[in-house]
Amino acid sequence: MRLQSGKQLMETLNGIQENLVYLLPEMVLVLGIIFLIAFDLVFDRKKSVGLAAIAFFTLVFVVFWLVFSFPIQQQPVQLMNGLLQTSPQTAVLKLIFTVSGVVILFMASRSEVFKKLFFQSSEVPIAVLGLLLGVFLMTMSIHWLMVYIAIELVSISSYLLVGLSPGKKNAEAGMKYLLYGGAASAVMLFGMSWLYGLTGTLHFYSDTFLAGIQAADPLVMATAFILLLFGVLFKLGAFPMHTWAPDVYEVAPIPIVALFAVVPKVAALFLLWQISDIDRAITGAWEQWVSVLAIGGMILGNFGAIWQRNAKRMLAYSSIAHAAFLLSALLLGELAYQVLFFYVMVYALMTLAAFFLIQIFEQRLNALRFESFHGLGKPFPYLSILLLVVMLALIGLPPTAGFNAKFYLFAGLWNTYESSGQEVVLWVLISGVANTVVALFYYLKLPYLLFFKTTSVEVNKVMVNKVKRDCLFGTLIVIPLLLIFFRSDALVDLLNNVNFTF
Amino acid sequence: MEHLLSLLVIVPLVGALVVLLTPNTYAYLYKNIALFSTLLLLALSLYAVYHFNTADAGAFIETSSLQYVEKMEWFRLNLGGLGVIAIDYFVGVDGLNITMVLLSAIVLCIGVLASWNTVEKVKAYFGLYLLLSASVMGCFIALDFFLFYLFFEFMLLPMYFLIGIWGGPRKEYAAIKFFLYTLVGSLFILIVMIGLNQSVYDPIKTAELAGLSTEISIAEVQEQVALGEIAKEQLVKTFHMIFMVDPNNYVPGSLLDRANVSLWMGHPLRSVAFLALFIGFAIKLPAVPFHTWLPDAHVEAPTAISVVLAGILLKIGGYGLIRTAYAIFPDAAFHHGWLIGFLGILAILYGAMNALAQKDLKRLIAYSSVSHMGFVLLGLASMTTEGVSGAIYQMFSHGLIASLLFLLAGVLYDRTGNRYIENYSGLAGIMPVFSIFVGVAFFASLGLPGFSGFIAELFVLIGAFSSASEIGAIPSWMAIVGALGLVLAAAYYLWTFQRMFMGAFWVKEKKWLPSLKDLTIREYLMFVPLIVLIVVFGIFPNLLFQLINHSVDVFVNHLTLWK
Repeated sequence: MRLQSGKQLMETLNGIQENLVYLLPEMVLVLGIIFLIAFDLVFDRKKSVGLAAIAFFTLVFVVFWLVFSFPIQQQPVQLMNGLLQTSPQTAVLKLIFTVSGVVILFMASRSEVFKKLFFQSSEVPIAVLGLLLGVFLMTMSIHWLMVYIAIELVSISSYLLVGLSPGKKNAEAGMKYLLYGGAASAVMLFGMSWLYGLTGTLHFYSDTFLAGIQAADPLVMATAFILLLFGVLFKLGAFPMHTWAPDVYEVAPIPIVALFAVVPKVAALFLLWQISDIDRAITGAWEQWVSVLAIGGMILGNFGAIWQRNAKRMLAYSSIAHAAFLLSALLLGELAYQVLFFYVMVYALMTLAAFFLIQIFEQRLNALRFESFHGLGKPFPYLSILLLVVMLALIGLPPTAGFNAKFYLFAGLWNTYESSGQEVVLWVLISGVANTVVALFYYLKLPYLLFFKTTSVEVNKVMVNKVKRDCLFGTLIVIPLLLIFFRSDALVDLLNNVNFTF
Repeated sequence: MEHLLSLLVIVPLVGALVVLLTPNTYAYLYKNIALFSTLLLLALSLYAVYHFNTADAGAFIETSSLQYVEKMEWFRLNLGGLGVIAIDYFVGVDGLNITMVLLSAIVLCIGVLASWNTVEKVKAYFGLYLLLSASVMGCFIALDFFLFYLFFEFMLLPMYFLIGIWGGPRKEYAAIKFFLYTLVGSLFILIVMIGLNQSVYDPIKTAELAGLSTEISIAEVQEQVALGEIAKEQLVKTFHMIFMVDPNNYVPGSLLDRANVSLWMGHPLRSVAFLALFIGFAIKLPAVPFHTWLPDAHVEAPTAISVVLAGILLKIGGYGLIRTAYAIFPDAAFHHGWLIGFLGILAILYGAMNALAQKDLKRLIAYSSVSHMGFVLLGLASMTTEGVSGAIYQMFSHGLIASLLFLLAGVLYDRTGNRYIENYSGLAGIMPVFSIFVGVAFFASLGLPGFSGFIAELFVLIGAFSSASEIGAIPSWMAIVGALGLVLAAAYYLWTFQRMFMGAFWVKEKKWLPSLKDLTIREYLMFVPLIVLIVVFGIFPNLLFQLINHSVDVFVNHLTLWK
């Protein structure tokens, strides 16, 4: 790089300084990480309360800052010489991520085992905050290099989170995840380097980039794009790069699984959405690609889930299927970003609720494999009803928000079919509807076992009381699912107020 | 009463809530609460029928002629490129559903009496039962497709648990089969509902949103939309069933617009959409070949739930066909008339032949239900006034008769735990009153004149016969083949009656003997009103016809108008 003159350097530094105000949430996360490390080093024992407090406080602060400084109508602002871009939509996503982070930390604090794992030393909270920092940057990046760095930050944190939990199987899953993930990153980086070679720029919103991809040979361009796509699909956990998900989900601690199922997934989806304009320009057959991926994911996720005998593995497959539904929302384009965001929010809510309830079953009642769920509906009716509601939401039946999310998605697909006349979109719609039936079959299995079978487990008073307290928090997550069904317009209006233009 | 119809949904919901909140120490109260709620329902629906204005209970295609209408906006979504979608809380009755409301109230009352001796998990049972009652009622009165679908789907859940927890030996299999079959059907309905919603706009709300003067008439709004003077973003898409009926309310160029033939895999999309709706409701009805869930569900379900299933839930299939599939897609319905008529006679004959071969009394009644619901299809397919009136009459009458039959089968099951026909003989000797009631029910069901079933089937057959000359939807041989179903019905009922009730008394197990007593007072309370109603509606068909006549006229007129 050419040495800059003093004046230029000053300008650059000034620019960075001005931009820093937009990056406050990220800086707070970094500060949180530093505090965690420092706290861990300074104090010797009994530090779990302090560590938990720092992690919670950091995230809660970010939530409040995001809410109160929400840039509702702001135009997108480019930061750091065009590496990042902040806009209302990134603020919405960051809010989803951080709230999920808070919920997950809270989940961990509700169980003795996870409390120990999360807060005994600083590694796990650091990895959680690191992951959040990664997804923050991932949603803001408009530069391939930045995208890569952000994805790597997310990935490394994820490997740590899987590997850090004790147990031989965890180490194995962590290793598997690391190897798969490393390969996927490498492939993606290779794709990016092709894109750079073909266009001469790394800024994917710049005109040079668009001109470059139009001038390039379509076959080469498509190859580069496929390479890139596979890396992102890996993070999304979508067909055909989903194979790691069930194994990792099975062994990782539930709060971490919940984190994986929501946060990196949504970030990867958003990245795909951002580059979908470019993809359209490149291939001209973007709809077909996405449709195939969506249909494949729905079928594979749902049919894979049917054969599972473990609640966590089942939810892993369910999240593969939901990733496919999210992918199909990309077909709507900017026609209906509300639909996409609505689905994302409801998905996050449903998934967190599902994992929270499953955690209660696992930690309090030692039920994770299906056999151990038998007949627990009788001693724990309220908990079981909560689980039933969440499962209904995941299927997409009324009266839950899951129905609205699916319904708006299907309406959007119908509309896209009407306006574009592409039959493949209608097939996505049909496949989505047909898969709902398959979904019924496995989601309803848990309530079925809970209510229809008989138990041999003895229930003591202490257990009942603990579950009762957990249920209180479970209710807090489940009630929004019902409320959003009855007044989904409130959420949509909220989204309508946000300026979603690029 | 101002919110009469809403009360029909609210009363059982409140009942369910009260049941849930009553502590277990007062368990004996649960059934009383349920009985009280359903009796209140009955009173409300009788009030509704009594004050139902039969003269102008007509033009179901116009909002103005609906009665007890309650309409307010539930929510409105502005989904960017998808446009504005408004979902209303919109309920009302006309001649097409007032009878169904009455039928539901009657059957639900009887159902509570039939579950009087439930001992296991009473709280959950009556809570779910009342939830089911609320969604059934909601389904019949909803006139907004979204609302209808909500109740239609929600019904599955209590039913699933009612069969799955309190059912017979294979209850789990039956419950999930019921759920899966009906869900497949309702997803077909969902796709069409989405399509209709995206194609139909609400002229009143559109005028409001576009800022047109309040004086403007609906026709003028429609004209402006047709000319493209109102921007697409200002069209308020609706789920209103009444608006979906009027072809002028379709967004020009939309996929289901009648003027704009869109093809899907070589078939007109409207025709495909009609078939999807048809399959959805035919599963619920159930029509052959979608009927296989019904025998399983009936055999495994507890008596009261069988009664509700046969008496009400099947009718939702028929009612849905009338209210949505036929009303919204009359052109496609006419096009598929032959197929539907054929499925009708197929159900009549195939159901009857299956009934002939059954060993389990409840299974026999289940197959006879399939056969009788075939008449509903045949009547609808004829697209004549007689046929459609007959179909509605058949739904009402079968609701009463099938309830009675399942209750009678339940009497035997309660006493011995066994329903196999071959295990009994000469029951008339020791249970005379029971035998008389069974005889009456059998004769009513096989269509003996003097009972309500006769009127219904007669009208259906007249309609099917005259259809060829009046509108040409189905050929007249279908009427003749359909009539064969009556003969078969006589065969299986009389044969069963002979085997079980006549001849020398004999039962398979000696230990059943002490429990084989004649009817109790509670059972009289269930049977006598049903039998009286069946006879009354058999002798005075006008009681029912005057409620539905005008609406059916308008409906049939609408079916033929498009030609």
